[in-house]
Amino acid sequence: MRTMRRTKLYMDTVVDIHVATVRPKEEADAAIERAFSAFRKVEDACSRFHPDSELMRACRRIGVPVPVGPYLFEPLRFAMELADWTNGVFDPTVGGTMEKFGFNRRYLTGDIADNPSDASAAYQDVEMDVRNRTLLLRKPTVIDLGAVAKGFAIDLAVRELSPFERFIVNAGGDLFAGGADGRYNVWNIGIRHPERRDESIQTVDISNEAICTSGSYERISAAADGVHHIVDPRTKRSPNVWVSCSVIAPYAMLADAFSTAAFLLGEEEALSLLEQAELRGVLVKPDLRIVKVGGM
Amino acid sequence: MAKMKKKWIVLCSAAIGVIYASEYYASNAQAYLPQPGNQESLIAGNPLSGNSALSDEEGGSSSGSASAPPSTGAPSASPGPSSVNKLFNDGTYTGTGSNRRGSIQVAVTVKRDKITDVEISDFAMHYSESDVVDLPDEVLQKQSSRVDNVSGATYSTRAFEDAVADALSQAKIG
Repeated sequence: MRTMRRTKLYMDTVVDIHVATVRPKEEADAAIERAFSAFRKVEDACSRFHPDSELMRACRRIGVPVPVGPYLFEPLRFAMELADWTNGVFDPTVGGTMEKFGFNRRYLTGDIADNPSDASAAYQDVEMDVRNRTLLLRKPTVIDLGAVAKGFAIDLAVRELSPFERFIVNAGGDLFAGGADGRYNVWNIGIRHPERRDESIQTVDISNEAICTSGSYERISAAADGVHHIVDPRTKRSPNVWVSCSVIAPYAMLADAFSTAAFLLGEEEALSLLEQAELRGVLVKPDLRIVKVGGM
Repeated sequence: MAKMKKKWIVLCSAAIGVIYASEYYASNAQAYLPQPGNQESLIAGNPLSGNSALSDEEGGSSSGSASAPPSTGAPSASPGPSSVNKLFNDGTYTGTGSNRRGSIQVAVTVKRDKITDVEISDFAMHYSESDVVDLPDEVLQKQSSRVDNVSGATYSTRAFEDAVADALSQAKIG
């Protein structure tokens, strides 16, 4: 079996694709290229760092329904459903707060984003019309799809790679491991140790599933003490109930969004969110105690 | 309970379905329809490039070498960055970024003054130590033999910015 690996940068992270297959190299090459192009399309639609992204063009239009394409509409709709489900603990309108905390720099170019946002804006000010596929913002706000867009791109990439015997799409630590050959497609995945970066704190076996991890040990705010890249939209602070939340799900968008939501929730609420969704999770507390959910 | 699980699964699966339905529709009726998922033509500020943007993207990085951009139907009429104030030559450029103990090589593709692709072309070769670039082991292919891959909080691309800047300096006009 031939093993192929290619690595590109998207969404300010490293997207690493492995494919192992007996199929022709050209076929795998073309599929890998299509898988990468899914990341570009989602990034072009959903980036809040790029003034010309479909998202930011839509965010500049207040009070009118704006027709949006599926690369933006679908992940935003998922984020809105979760915002509703968690009563706003998870809220995609947190983008303005993120900008103020210094998460405003476009990677590679270094351009700084500075967009108007109303501090009182919340997910209730975002209206989506499923029939006409439009988005309407009632207040100026910056929508952040950081908890869904990458997962969505992974899911689209996976669809391109699904004919191959064994493959993995890892976007900066959020990954889907799968394959068409049942004999080979169990993967042993390590969950990064929050303090010792080259070690795993736990390993899990997954098969045709995603595992996504939200953690407080990367992307620390330079603008505010004790703030990292996951911010509670209501308190405008980073919660510290967990240092790492990993969620396993059949789709990366689901694992991505729920790992972020779990991180934002208190201990009991996080466990109950994952239990209700029948998802498996590995959550790590600040004292490095591990809490497992869903029969891990 | 089961119902709630199903809700989220259905949302994910429907989201992927919508994308594939729209791409299929677009590729079969390209000349007649706007392509809602495709932003390239809008970002480039070139309404004329819409029709060919899908194939344009697919071939973006594999076409590789520093050649002219694929035809967009009427490139001479492009209202995008004109030849007068264009900053970069189109093409793919290799850049190297050095760190304390090694270097990372990237291949950066530039099209109409936009970075359209950044591929890490050569890091495994240069790196045996993992603590160098601020990246976890799995990125450097030196990962523990005990696991197939590693999940963790999302790390950034800062470690690659020098290499990308190096490539862009070669693409720069003048």
